[in-house]
Amino acid sequence: MKPSNPLISGLALAAGLLFLSPVLYSIWMSFQTADAYYTGTIDFTLSNFELAIGQYNFARYLLNSIIVSGLVTLIGLAVATCAAFAFARYTFRGSNLLFGAVVATLMIPSHITLIPNYLTLAKAGLLDTYAGLVLPAISNGFAAFFLRQYIRGIPRALDEAAYMDGASPLKVLWRVIIPLSKPAILSMGLYIFISEWNNYIWPLVAIGREDLYTLQIGLARLYRVNPGEDIINWPLVMAASTITILPVIVGFVLVERHLIRGMMMGAVK
Amino acid sequence: MLRRMTPYLFVLPLLAFIAVFTYVPIVQSMNLSVREWDFLSPTKPFVGLDNYRLLLDSREFWNALRVTAVFAIISVPLRLLLALFIATQLLRETWVSRIMRGALFLPAVTSTVAIGVVFSWVFSTDYGMMNALLKSIGLPKIAWLQEPHVALWVLIFVNTWKQLGYDIIIYIAGLQAIGPELYDAAAVDGGRKGHVFRRITVPLVMPTTYFLLMISVIEAFQVFTIVDVMTKGGPAGATDMLVNMLYRVGFNLFDIGVGSALAVLLFILLITLAVIKSRVIGRKVHYEA
Repeated sequence: MKPSNPLISGLALAAGLLFLSPVLYSIWMSFQTADAYYTGTIDFTLSNFELAIGQYNFARYLLNSIIVSGLVTLIGLAVATCAAFAFARYTFRGSNLLFGAVVATLMIPSHITLIPNYLTLAKAGLLDTYAGLVLPAISNGFAAFFLRQYIRGIPRALDEAAYMDGASPLKVLWRVIIPLSKPAILSMGLYIFISEWNNYIWPLVAIGREDLYTLQIGLARLYRVNPGEDIINWPLVMAASTITILPVIVGFVLVERHLIRGMMMGAVK
Repeated sequence: MLRRMTPYLFVLPLLAFIAVFTYVPIVQSMNLSVREWDFLSPTKPFVGLDNYRLLLDSREFWNALRVTAVFAIISVPLRLLLALFIATQLLRETWVSRIMRGALFLPAVTSTVAIGVVFSWVFSTDYGMMNALLKSIGLPKIAWLQEPHVALWVLIFVNTWKQLGYDIIIYIAGLQAIGPELYDAAAVDGGRKGHVFRRITVPLVMPTTYFLLMISVIEAFQVFTIVDVMTKGGPAGATDMLVNMLYRVGFNLFDIGVGSALAVLLFILLITLAVIKSRVIGRKVHYEA
């Protein structure tokens, strides 16, 4: 393979920077004072973040987002892994039909569940609670499908050996299947966490109490508080936006390869 | 006995959640779509197809359907073409192409609300990046998000910017699965680049295209967040999408009957599109060995 041309590489990197420039500039702007921004000078400050975290309660929204996305990821993975194990290793009456019902959820547009799920949670008294945010997001057909495909690739002889030693199915799942599925489970965990972190329409519907806002709702409200763009305090809004995207960007840089590989595995299988 | 129950116990939690939050709601939506209800009143009288008739007679519905269709018809092919082209350029495992893949993929995992807010600034009339650029080359300002003919294009642009990286990654996976033999053969036969692209690359990644087409059409018809943040469907309904209308009817006007009828219509539309696609394109997907 010939070494890459430095000119082409330079151009490609410049194109990449240009592509991300709106986001990069928004992060830069969040460290500027409002005066400096509007007069076009440079004046670094952390006051936008202090304001967002303190007066505008973004510390609380951050906590809410972490709790909700964390719970959805943990419970969602547990539920999907158990089902994937059964669909990969057992043939039972109705297994094809039930697996079909799981895969079909990938094709079902989620908007049709919006009003009924709101009514269900209202009836259960779960609107304006963490449970109301978490429960409808638990079932993840894609994760179950993906993990089942992965588990089918693990040699059955390993299960058999464990059963010979008198292990229960739960123990085989815990001691054999899960340790061997770690890369797939990690990819799916990231995928679920990020989707839930960025979820907007459901918290918008299910949450009215300000102290239960997730970051997405808090950011949208902060931006929309003052319509009429002359009044918008852009550096403050960008600080809130930076708080919303930075955890994902940092996580992305750390585990980018896992995530992209996970996406690719899901597409090809 | 217990042994026979084992697999059922393992799948039970997932199926219970799917039943309660996905399948039962479809039936509930259908049931609510033929009733009149406002969330509060104790009765839900049956009104037949009145809610559907009301929708089909309203300009609001046809406007939202047209806007959503335009959004989907423009943005889906645009995304896929751009993504396929860029993917073919980023196939080699060099550090430049890895960084480029990362940069292009980053928006796909970034919060749509934050992207909406950032691009609201980019396209804001007085302080935005776009108008600053126009000004620097001596062109007049454009009210990007206030101009009915422009706002939808801005949304298509932003949506493409966000989703492109995902399509690229999936295409790279598909292209890497093709393998070099056919390209080598084409090179021996002296095939030109454009020709090779049309005759080898495009047909062989058809399964990937089909997969992306399926998910991106469903996604395009359900677009909500970017619109809610950037334009709220305005100006004058020029960017009002079906799900934004659904949210407004259901949760601002509390008209559960009409909102559910709209949800069911959109559901039927998407299922129909899926069937048509599998008929038309499904036949062309069997290139894979």
